[in-house]
Amino acid sequence: MKINHLKIAILVSALFFTGCKKVLDLQPTDKLQANAIFSDPEGVKIFMANLYYQLPIEDFAFFRGGFNQNGPGPNNGGFAAAMVTDEAVHSEFGDFIGDGDFQWWDQGYKLLRDVNLLLDVVPELSITDDEKKALVGEGSFIKAFAYFALAKRYGGVPLIKVSQEYTGDAEALKVPRSTEKETWDYTIELCDLAIANLGTTKSRRASKYTALALKSRVALYAASLAKFGPLAPMSGAAVSANLVGLAPGDAAGYYQACITASKELISSNAYSLFRPNPATPQEAAENYRVLFENPNNAPEEAILIKGFSLPGDNQGHNYDIWYGPAQNANSWPHPGRMNPTLDLVDQYETYASPGTINPVITSTDNNISDYNGYSAARTYLTFDNPTQIFEGRDARLWGTAVLPGSLWKSVPIIIQAGYVKPDGSTTIRTKEQIVVGGVTYHTYGGPEPPTYSGFDTYGGNNTRTGFGFKKFLNQNAPVIPGWNQSTNDFIEFRYAEVLLNFAEAVVESGSADIAEATAAINAIRRRAGHLTTIAITPELVQRERKVELAFENKRMWDLMRRREYHTEFNNRFKHSLLPLLDLRQLPAVKYIFVRVNVPNSNSVTFQPKSYYRSIPGIGTNGLVQNPQY
Amino acid sequence: MNKIKLMLLIAGMISLVSCSKDNYDAPNAGLHGSFIDDATNELVQQDIIGGTQIEFIEHGYDPFEIQTMIVKTDGTYANSLMFANTYTIQPKRGNFVELAPQDLQVNGQTQLDFRVVPYIRVLQPSITIAGTIVTATFKLQQTVVNNVRKIGLYVHSDSRVGEPMRLVASEQNLNAPSDPNTTYTLTMDVAASSSILKTGKNHYFRIGALIDAGEAKPNYAPAVMIPL
Repeated sequence: MKINHLKIAILVSALFFTGCKKVLDLQPTDKLQANAIFSDPEGVKIFMANLYYQLPIEDFAFFRGGFNQNGPGPNNGGFAAAMVTDEAVHSEFGDFIGDGDFQWWDQGYKLLRDVNLLLDVVPELSITDDEKKALVGEGSFIKAFAYFALAKRYGGVPLIKVSQEYTGDAEALKVPRSTEKETWDYTIELCDLAIANLGTTKSRRASKYTALALKSRVALYAASLAKFGPLAPMSGAAVSANLVGLAPGDAAGYYQACITASKELISSNAYSLFRPNPATPQEAAENYRVLFENPNNAPEEAILIKGFSLPGDNQGHNYDIWYGPAQNANSWPHPGRMNPTLDLVDQYETYASPGTINPVITSTDNNISDYNGYSAARTYLTFDNPTQIFEGRDARLWGTAVLPGSLWKSVPIIIQAGYVKPDGSTTIRTKEQIVVGGVTYHTYGGPEPPTYSGFDTYGGNNTRTGFGFKKFLNQNAPVIPGWNQSTNDFIEFRYAEVLLNFAEAVVESGSADIAEATAAINAIRRRAGHLTTIAITPELVQRERKVELAFENKRMWDLMRRREYHTEFNNRFKHSLLPLLDLRQLPAVKYIFVRVNVPNSNSVTFQPKSYYRSIPGIGTNGLVQNPQY
Repeated sequence: MNKIKLMLLIAGMISLVSCSKDNYDAPNAGLHGSFIDDATNELVQQDIIGGTQIEFIEHGYDPFEIQTMIVKTDGTYANSLMFANTYTIQPKRGNFVELAPQDLQVNGQTQLDFRVVPYIRVLQPSITIAGTIVTATFKLQQTVVNNVRKIGLYVHSDSRVGEPMRLVASEQNLNAPSDPNTTYTLTMDVAASSSILKTGKNHYFRIGALIDAGEAKPNYAPAVMIPL
């Protein structure tokens, strides 16, 4: 007993002799210090990978909910930005732009803080001056990219030029909005800083060329806002303080900035168009398709690629499962959601009459504005097969959309809305069948889903415009029926966009570079199989942009920056082309087509306030809200 | 045993204690009135959606939020659920020469009429149908020097038809000052929109004219019901 007491007494007294280490002076062992990361090239890579991941690239994982929508089970119905434009409709949803859509605020300032922390520490790093210069250039590129994403959504925003330090006073951290002009000017200044500091090595990271391409895009956006802003006047506190809106007088300077940056990139000869001289339109269509199926085949055109290299959550994407035709769904339950509109298809020129718009003609009266449906009183043009009506149309249509009757993954894609019976009566979009001469004809071209890909509302899996989606999809492998399994890469900047930016800046500003701009547009057209050189107009440049950049998430912002949204979308219906089997001419199987409003759709109207997104959290951040929110 | 009963009783009483209601009173005031043409004393026709908005700011809050109410097509408005307080009120984005903001004590159901100068008056409106062709004729009298951007004939199956709320429109861009002596004519072939304008139903037609000014909204003649 006594011994035990003694033991305890010794142990207890021993406790009193233990001392403290200097706990507070220790460096944390679970966090890396700036120098430890940035003095090691591998450390820089890891930090940069995080910044690039946060970069607001409007890629395959960009939806109205925001960026990187490829986490576990990213079920957003596949409702893409193209579906709030005239490019496409969703096979089921009729949604338009909601107040909470396409926001990027908190994430934007989080990225800016991360990159500011990097830029703050650069001067103190024990690395060579060249390495420091590269870090400054890359950081500036990322900042410029982020401020562009903020400015095009919110107008003038708080400019956090260096990282903020919290010293116990939260109020001191609140930065008011700068004017919209200051915001665009700062974004362009950052582009210039990136251009001056970055090297010319091509990789999946920023280079001098990506910075030039960004500047070309940014300056064109700002110039368009300045030029076309008066088309959609606004009022309110944010307008009075110039937090939104640019003066028309600023347009010339921004257009010139776009021209200068674009020309520098073009004349560097570092990039060119992918397969610029196809022998036939068929070859052009295939080249165009291949460019997007795997941009790594086209290093001469792809200026910046974002990789989706591995299948899996946060890595792959979902274009193949959402957007492929129902017939190729490979038992994935929700295919066929991206339906290119007839409105877009009409924009593709025919080789026979270059430089003019030739909407799809379906009847002998040439009436293209009658969307009331089949009428026995009209004489429709008849075709031997459903693709014949599109023959002679721009190769990019064939590379972008799955046309009725065309092959996709070696399967003829059946898109049919009904038939005209031998007696002249019709069955349209009603699931029926008719036996004529011992042959059974089905409304949708097949007995049951998924033997066809059009118009049946079953599961929302079939196109309701008459067109399926092809661009970006992987033709070489079957659809893997699961989330985030698509692994083709996305081109964020490509040479053709720079040419289009350049040409637009020239024609809109009346610059003297019209010859180069004409050459740029004709080079893009030559790549698409056009052989005739044509003069360019603002309308032609816009049409070229629509068809060349279709579904690259550019159209929404083009409608915004050119202030065309509220006039293009004023009680707007989008349109479909119904292919019908004409059984009146049996035994010859003929097809006719009917232009209609998209079935089961409503007209939509763009609210001018949507030219700017609402600023979140004004109750705490104290910022001036955008008009009418 | 008694002790336990006592404890249960006390516990029960505690559980029954509750606070008196400390909620705000429900809104018991309201604001209503009309937009009246200062020259003719007639109501100024409006749009139910995408039309004139009355912005009101309730005093005593910082940061404040701008609230809005909409106006009925006949030019009257009412909001019967407002808190009694002082408000700064200003109609915005309207179809009349802009009014200055005014402060108003809203107590009970308060009436506030706005006497305005409409940008355009649509005079002698007439809408007739012959076969499937609807013809609208009217004259325009504008009160400002701006151009008239466009004139239009709008149709909807709902009586609250207007430029923003329509099934079909027949519009003509003027982009010039209107001539008070000209009779403007707009026609619409309802058969050309047979998939949208269903026959056998009443439809409402309304003539509108839009001034070329800022966020201006169109001015209208009253809607006319025509069975198709």
